Parts: sequence; C-alpha cells; structure tokens
Amino acid sequence: MLGCYDFCGHYDWTFAWLHEQGGDALLRDYWREAIAGDSQRHASQLIEELGFEGMKKYWAHTLEEEAAGYTMTEGDAVIRIDMHECPSKGFLLRNNLSHSTDYCDHCIGWIGPVMEKAGFTIDHEHNHCGKCWWEMRRTGDERPPSTPGELADKADVRSASDWINPEASFDLFQKTTSVENKEPANPDQSASSI
Amino acid sequence: MDKTHSVMKAGNLPYHDTKPQGAADFYFAINATFRFIQDRLGRQGWIAYLRQLGARYFAPVNDSWRQGGLPAVAGYWRAFFAAEPGGAVEVREEAGTVVLDIGRCPAIHHLKTHAREVVPSYCEHCYHLGQARAEAAGMAMRLEGGDGQCRHVYFAHPPETPQDMSAIRAVTSC
Repeated sequence: MLGCYDFCGHYDWTFAWLHEQGGDALLRDYWREAIAGDSQRHASQLIEELGFEGMKKYWAHTLEEEAAGYTMTEGDAVIRIDMHECPSKGFLLRNNLSHSTDYCDHCIGWIGPVMEKAGFTIDHEHNHCGKCWWEMRRTGDERPPSTPGELADKADVRSASDWINPEASFDLFQKTTSVENKEPANPDQSASSI
Repeated sequence: MDKTHSVMKAGNLPYHDTKPQGAADFYFAINATFRFIQDRLGRQGWIAYLRQLGARYFAPVNDSWRQGGLPAVAGYWRAFFAAEPGGAVEVREEAGTVVLDIGRCPAIHHLKTHAREVVPSYCEHCYHLGQARAEAAGMAMRLEGGDGQCRHVYFAHPPETPQDMSAIRAVTSC
C-alpha cells in the first residue's frame, strides 16, 4: 500500500518518473490537473467561494495537519504566508531524498492554477532549504510584494538568520500563477531586498 | 497515541517524519495521481509506474526484507500501519507467510468519508506495488478483497499459482 506517512518521498519520486515519461509538459499538467483540479479541489472551492477567507481556512487546516512551522498574515487585500519549516521539503531534507530536479516547484505548480481560477495572483520566493514566502493579491492589484518585515514583522522569513545560507538557492515568482515564470534570484537583488 | 511507542514502531520504516502519523488528506493526492496516470498513460503505464515505484523508491525496504525475511516484513507493516491514520489492521506471521488482515483500509476509509470519487482499480495498486517489492526481496505477494477490506499475504517462497486478479474487488464510490 502507498501510504501518507512518507507521502512527500514518493510524491518527489513520482515527479521524477512523470518527467521521464513526458518532460516538463506532463509534470506541469499533473500539478494542474491531478493536484489542483482533483486532489485539492476542496482548496479550490474554498478559495473561489470565500476569497481571502477561504485561503485562511484552507491553509489553517492543511498546515496544521502537516505540522508546518509557518505564520499567516492578513494585510490590506493581501494574504501572506511565511514558511519557516516546510513539512514537505523538510521531510526530503531530513531523509536525504532528492529524486526530482526541483521539488519546490510543485507548490506554485498547483497553487498557481487554483489562484488563477479564483482571480488571484502570486508573489513567491523559496530558498530550497524549507523556507519560502507567499503573497496573494487580487488579479490586477499591481502593488509590489512587501519589503522584509513590512507586513509580517518579525515573522518575515526573509529576516531569519538562515534565509540566506551556503546551501540556499533562490527562485522568485512575481505577479504570476504559472510555474513557468520562474526567475532565478539573487537574494541581494530579489524581492528579499526590494 | 503513545509517543514512545510510535517512535519505536517508526524505527522499522525507512523514512521518518517529525509527527507520528501522516496527513490523511494526502490520500486525495494518491487517488488523483492514479487517475491522472491511467488517463494519460493507460493501464499498462500505471502498472509500470507502480512496479518501478516498488522496485526503486522502496529499495531500502526491499533490501531489509531480503536480509531479515518474514520478521522484517511483519515489522515493517506493523510500523507502516501505526503511522497511517484511521486504519484497522492485524499483522501476523504464520506458516511461512506474513498475513495482513485489513479490516478498515485507511485510504479507502478517508476517501469515502470525504465523498471522493475513487479510482475503481485503486485496490489493485496494493498488488502491483506489493508484488514488485516482494519480488525484489525474493518473495511473493497475493491479495484478496478490496473496497476497504482485504487480505495481503507475503510468501517467503513464491507459490506456483499466480495472482487471481478477479479476487481483487473494484472500489465503489459514494
């Protein structure tokens, strides 16, 4: 039986297997159709119906269930999540698992289509070490992401001492809902220090 | 759940998490993954996925079964089901086999509780995955039942008779 205890391990392996079968296109279709459209349709429904309130309800439930170390901050027409200890990437790091080329892409790979359908856009950055931040705004809201500490104060993951570390490499997504719009980022020049 | 007990049990698993049990909503993703692969790559593609997953991702477990024999198989499955939420499973060793009597499958239970449309052949995955893993350990696995209640048997010496696929029940969705 395929279980949920080590789900992140075989999820990562599955990304690599799908990529072998059909490249980036099949993997992106998988995140969009199977994860966003099927597995996480409860998230999609909540966010479409309730907007920011739906995001709060969904992530409060799922991040508690996954025992994540995170904070969620609500600002003026924006929801921000600071992930200090990603339970998913953390599982891979603790167990020395790395089958797929960029595991962290899967999050925007499915959250992006959910947000697009519900009328939101995303600013997001991850350091591939279990830390990331997200800001969700209504599509058409062109305000830039917050500066470090501006919205989440001390909970801002960009203020953490290990946000920048020797193992970290940064990917940045700006005002998008597509995993294809990835910008490799230098944290000195990225939204971390805007 | 007693934390000390669960940590001891988890010692038989190849990969460890910080929490004693997994998040049941991940069964939604497993079900959706099966549907996607069947739709895109067909039934044979899905079976190939499961067999490769069994042989490659689970290689550390398969190696421990090969080295430890049936006690290692039994220990693994006790630890496995202790870490899956919502199941009711008895694991026992008897006459050259390990038998898993699954009175309530945690995955099917969670999927049905949340009114998910379950892939009809969902229960077959346990056979294709389990048999690939057993083969890698020099054993065999057979499955009977499904749709929430079933019996898995691991044989130290592979039986001559192949798996009867008609013995695996399709899942009925709500």
